[in-house]
Amino acid sequence: MAEIRPDEVSAILRKQLAGFDNEVDIYEVGTVLQVGDGIARVYGLSNVMASELVEFPNNVTGMVLNLEEDNVGCVLFGESSLIKEGDTVKRTNRVASFPVGDKLLGRVVNPLGEPVDGKGTIQFDKYMPIERKALGVIARQPVKEPVQTGITAIDAMIPIGRGQRELIIGDRQTGKTAIAIDAIINQKYTHTEEAKKFGIKPVYCVYVAIGQKNSTIAQVVAKLEEQGAMAYTTIVAAPASSPAPLQYIAPYSGATLGEHFRDSGRHSLVIYDDLSKQAAAYRELSLLLRRPPGREAYPGDVFYLHSRLLERASKLSEDLGGGSLTALPIIETQQGDVSAYIPTNVISITDGQIYLEPNLFNAGVRPAINVGISVSRVGGNAQIKAMKKVAGSLKIDLAQYRELEAFAKFGSDLDKATQKILAKGARLVELLKQGQYTPIPVEKQVVSVYIGTNNFLDSVDVKDVKRFEKEFHEFADLKYPAIYENIRSAKELKDDTVQLLKKAVEEFIEKFNKG
Amino acid sequence: MSIYRISYRYANSFFQLAEEKKLLKKYGEDIELIFNTLSQSKELRSVLRNPVIKQKDKKNLLSKIFGSKIRKETSEFLDFIVGKSREDIMMEIMKEFLNLRDDKEGIVRTGITSSVDLTDSVKKDLVSKLEKRTGKKVKPEYYVDKNLIGGFIVNINDTMLDASVKHQLDLLRKKFSEEISI
Repeated sequence: MAEIRPDEVSAILRKQLAGFDNEVDIYEVGTVLQVGDGIARVYGLSNVMASELVEFPNNVTGMVLNLEEDNVGCVLFGESSLIKEGDTVKRTNRVASFPVGDKLLGRVVNPLGEPVDGKGTIQFDKYMPIERKALGVIARQPVKEPVQTGITAIDAMIPIGRGQRELIIGDRQTGKTAIAIDAIINQKYTHTEEAKKFGIKPVYCVYVAIGQKNSTIAQVVAKLEEQGAMAYTTIVAAPASSPAPLQYIAPYSGATLGEHFRDSGRHSLVIYDDLSKQAAAYRELSLLLRRPPGREAYPGDVFYLHSRLLERASKLSEDLGGGSLTALPIIETQQGDVSAYIPTNVISITDGQIYLEPNLFNAGVRPAINVGISVSRVGGNAQIKAMKKVAGSLKIDLAQYRELEAFAKFGSDLDKATQKILAKGARLVELLKQGQYTPIPVEKQVVSVYIGTNNFLDSVDVKDVKRFEKEFHEFADLKYPAIYENIRSAKELKDDTVQLLKKAVEEFIEKFNKG
Repeated sequence: MSIYRISYRYANSFFQLAEEKKLLKKYGEDIELIFNTLSQSKELRSVLRNPVIKQKDKKNLLSKIFGSKIRKETSEFLDFIVGKSREDIMMEIMKEFLNLRDDKEGIVRTGITSSVDLTDSVKKDLVSKLEKRTGKKVKPEYYVDKNLIGGFIVNINDTMLDASVKHQLDLLRKKFSEEISI
């Protein structure tokens, strides 16, 4: 920035003064009766709306949650120690809202839209209320385009469509966040010129971090920046140190931003990491507001808490621009207990779940997705034709493998056919292993799955499968780039491409086994 | 149960009785006297709140203070409150009764705070303007607060009409502290 000239300063001052009128200011007030634990009870404010923002002294804002006969229950977004009994509370006439706009991309903000990354103020377009009613039936259309996560196991077997809600569920330390981050990184391709040529529209991402360590959030930001993914991503951060009310509203703020992209005919991917912490935050403030506790001490409306959030994921009809909001909620389970209250709720709300298991994780299968019980209820319609074609047999092969795997452990003599299924299954499992931050483009996924399911790996040792895959892609990139190009442009696996692919694989296997 | 709900029930029952007997004005004056006495005397309030003092003594005390000045029914109402051991919220009940009466008669109580003492003509002008605005009879109470620097604040229930210099300065300070991009 150049030096500030004196006239510029006075211009700013004039600008600031322009909106200032010295008329009588009319506002409504109340008095704090009781304050503590992040909750304030206020007398007065007789016309206040539910979920309206109110101003306390010392720049503390609050949100009205309880409207009672003789007092108003507010949750505080700041330190409750800054507020005393008898303080004046002012109405703002504005329901809790979040600033939206494209300038938020690349930024880290708190759930009220204030930047927390030290990069200065954000020029936003407008405020949108954080609680919005989900769209009705008329405004929607079925999910039809894919969100490529870049993870072969997911894109092949548990595909996610634009506008879907797919739950990522698993114990701690099973790589839930890793899947979400990989999915964000993989959207980089959708912002390229090449993607535009093939009719793939860009996906804007919102990562909502709820109740996480500040260091973890910083790590995610750093990783996304390193991968160039921050350009199309906003992070809404409500770390563990922030008050429970902020953690409670964070997912709604993220959804509001996602809706901004959706309503302008674009596509967005919103990740809520994680909703079990949000439910705990909501439980905390519900109990402090003396709402009656129910199962596991959660309040009665904890189902509605998540259903109204996830219902906002949608694919708009063409009349409304065809935009979409894809939601990837994350739920952390305790000791694999998916029948606890919050996990069952969210499983029933979403259109499928990706189930991560610590056993698989420790056995080295990473991403540790249990493909047996993971499902996607709508995403199949959104898969590209080529993937649909090759993935069908992959699912069956893996199911057969799991069935026989238990027997194989007894070490008894097995017949030829069984041994063959086991060998193939082991190779497929190996093939689906994938490192973190290394999303694979869909055409390569198709080729890999094709090689795996069509028995080309029989002559390759299990430990060499990953190397084989990598080297084959390098080889084909150089010698038969047409394979990838055809899949990418046609989005299906035509016979001539299959012939070419077969030829390439046979040629490469010969070389591979020699060297 | 909240104090508001309890005091409302007592006040409302007496209010309905007063309406029935068409003696609202008279009873209102009695209650106003009691309310003013209570709000001015901290000692009386603490006596009423004190659980150690016997209810009989409290009744005697109340009738000695107010006995000659108020009507029999009002005096009985006080005894009734004490008899129900609700003398600790006596003042709230009285306030609630006055609110009910004001609502009925279309009176709004307004607090007018100014930086200096207002002259009578200004007061009259202000009250008539406020009555025009609210469409009700305005019952003003005047306060002086040097901190306002200049101007005045009117509060009608929860609504504040703020024309004080202090508030203007606060707004200005806020305006300047906002970051604006160049």
